[in-house]
Amino acid sequence: MALLELNKLTIQFGGLIAVNKVDLKVEKGQISALIGPNGAGKSTAFNLATGIYSPTSGKVLYKGQDISGKAPYYINGLGIARTFQNIRLFKELTVLDNVKIGCHSRSKAGIFGAITRLSAIKKEEREIEEKAYQALKLMGLEKKYDEFADNLSYGEQRCLEIARAMASEPELLLLDEPAAGMNLQEKGVLVEKINKIREMGLTIFLVEHDMKFVMGLSDRVAVLDYGVKIADGTPEEVQVNADVIAAYLGKEVV
Amino acid sequence: MTLLNGLLPPYIESIAITVGIYIIMALGLNLITGVTGQLSLGHAAYMSIGAYASAIVSLQLGMPFIFALLAGGIAAGIFGLIIGYPTLRLTGDYLAIATLGFGEIVKSLLFNMPIVGGAMGLAGIPYKSTLTVTFILVVIVIWMMLRVERSRFGRALLAIREDDIAAECYGINTSLYKVKMFVLGTFIAGIGGALWAHKIMVLQPRDFGFMKSIEILNMVVLGGLGSIPGTVLGAIVLTSIPEVLRFSSDYRMLLYGALLVIMMRFRPNGLLGGVDVTKLVKKSIKSITGSNFTNKEKKKVKGGD
Repeated sequence: MALLELNKLTIQFGGLIAVNKVDLKVEKGQISALIGPNGAGKSTAFNLATGIYSPTSGKVLYKGQDISGKAPYYINGLGIARTFQNIRLFKELTVLDNVKIGCHSRSKAGIFGAITRLSAIKKEEREIEEKAYQALKLMGLEKKYDEFADNLSYGEQRCLEIARAMASEPELLLLDEPAAGMNLQEKGVLVEKINKIREMGLTIFLVEHDMKFVMGLSDRVAVLDYGVKIADGTPEEVQVNADVIAAYLGKEVV
Repeated sequence: MTLLNGLLPPYIESIAITVGIYIIMALGLNLITGVTGQLSLGHAAYMSIGAYASAIVSLQLGMPFIFALLAGGIAAGIFGLIIGYPTLRLTGDYLAIATLGFGEIVKSLLFNMPIVGGAMGLAGIPYKSTLTVTFILVVIVIWMMLRVERSRFGRALLAIREDDIAAECYGINTSLYKVKMFVLGTFIAGIGGALWAHKIMVLQPRDFGFMKSIEILNMVVLGGLGSIPGTVLGAIVLTSIPEVLRFSSDYRMLLYGALLVIMMRFRPNGLLGGVDVTKLVKKSIKSITGSNFTNKEKKKVKGGD
């Protein structure tokens, strides 16, 4: 059974069908990618999988459980964490606090815990701190813990998004254009980090623009165009697929 | 228990109690508007509910002050739940509009309810809000707010203010947290109202109008949204300025307004907005004791934008 499965997933905004009957499987332990030209519906598919949108029809299955239309916080609790294409950090909070918030699903303290600070709560808070620090270390941001998230460079902000997602201890990590706006060197470092995360046993599903980045990294690649899946397979298969070439480069006029 | 009472001249003592009550009110609103970023324009309404509820408990049931205080807080919290539950699930400025409307409804109801004296008001409330009691409650509320701010719950509220979609994607049930926070904030407003009732001894509906809500909001904004020391300072400054300016009699409110404009011009983020006070204190202690000036801990002042 696939870890995440999109089953004839469709969403319609007025007259526009942004995602049209897409079938897709993300296998456990693999790095799967979803690519396609601008406006193909990649991010929309992500938003459907994480509960930001409810599908018009079709299903999202996680470990066989139907999660379509469930609230994002519930889906995060099940073990799916994501990053955002248009970085959504908590800008006026510190790097460490950003990652601590990522631990939310895996901790419990409420208002009364906050006020009483019993020893169990203190212990939990120490664990959150330790987890947050480990997540920062993984992404190489541990020295910047005290900075405001807003003051980080663009590439660091993207890494912080991943660190925050990792702090929620997910089984499935969804990365929405993780390399957007990064230079070659930063991309190289990012590939290393993503491979490291995979070695930790996580399943990764990413949306990306950069073909080279995706082809070198992924086990499986699916291609969307105008909301429809036009190809699915290993990077080698997809690269020579005539429909994919047509979608990216246009058709040859005979 | 009565350590502080009578220590100051009666006039100053009376102002000090008022300042304390406003600190409590403003800290409740700071949780709602400053920390969580939900604009409430009806804070005075929750204050009035707390004031009237506690007055009734004191007058009709003759119960001790502590029960009157709790009744005030709980009554305001219940109304916080009733208003917050349907409106906080929406995004945007709906809460501002709903709380604004709610404030007017409460005022009209109080005007027309014989049991609370209508426009004549409710008189004969015993004087219980001494300086000592007020001071103790101020300390408790500040202490509570500091703990809430640095907790998993407080971080979730900050996350909601910063980006509610991202907060939701990281496991925070944003509408539930907003409702919990709003109930806590209005509970505190109710406590403030109860103190007010037992200081002023006569309650009149027109004391709790829209302008009162704005006055409390001013304290939070002037002090620095989300900053606990800032809110306390804002409440102290805005409560005492009208008293200090008494010498200028007719021009008092004019000067008050001008001061507000000037402060907003030079500190748009509030007096202590973006200033980490604990770090500032640590730093100044270090510089006084003469240890390293080149400390890596940068002073985090983010003013001006």
